[in-house]
Amino acid sequence: MGDIVQIYSDYKDHADFLTIYIREAHPLDEWRMKSNEKDKDDVCYVQPKTLAQRVAIANDFTQRFKFPVPFGIDEMNNTANDAYAAWPERLYILDESGRISYKGGNGPFQYEPKEVRAWLAQRYGQVKHAEPAPEKKS
Amino acid sequence: MNRALLWTAISFGGLVVLAYVGLSILAGGPKDAIEMLRFALPYMHRGRLHVGDSAPDVPLVALDGATRFHIRERNHGRPLVLVFGSFT
Repeated sequence: MGDIVQIYSDYKDHADFLTIYIREAHPLDEWRMKSNEKDKDDVCYVQPKTLAQRVAIANDFTQRFKFPVPFGIDEMNNTANDAYAAWPERLYILDESGRISYKGGNGPFQYEPKEVRAWLAQRYGQVKHAEPAPEKKS
Repeated sequence: MNRALLWTAISFGGLVVLAYVGLSILAGGPKDAIEMLRFALPYMHRGRLHVGDSAPDVPLVALDGATRFHIRERNHGRPLVLVFGSFT
């Protein structure tokens, strides 16, 4: 999500952004990922069965990472997920008239924030970042 | 048993084993391969949306858990980047 936050920071004056929280990809009671348990952030949840549980996880996420991008949560009947074939993660860009201008691939292997950045850069210009300072040799 | 049938069965079995090994490598382990088949593949699909289509205007819930809004309410006069995902 770091790439998305950076893109949001770079282009929020030109485009609107909306994160949509959908059903969990690797909950404890489905396809459990050991890497989530080892992660220093301890990202372990069961698949939410109620909207209140889904809302609680979404709030945990936004608060834990101080996530600045506007946020919405899919209903428990997964309307948004089904309409956009979003699971486990996917990116779209809608143009000013509400038509799909970019449809990204299915995550995680075809999830490419750099394609979103390229779309925005083509329209609004590139945002250059200072190169990180080289590490000093001791 | 018919010799051709036997070799067909052996070849099919070999392909199944190879597919399972490949899936295990892709998913991260033998158990992950089973869970991927059970919990991931049924939900992963291309969908019917294409570039140029009108974006579906579906309802969403705000972080307060009570307020409802529609995706297209956030799409007025500027492009809208949609980021679908979950925590895990």
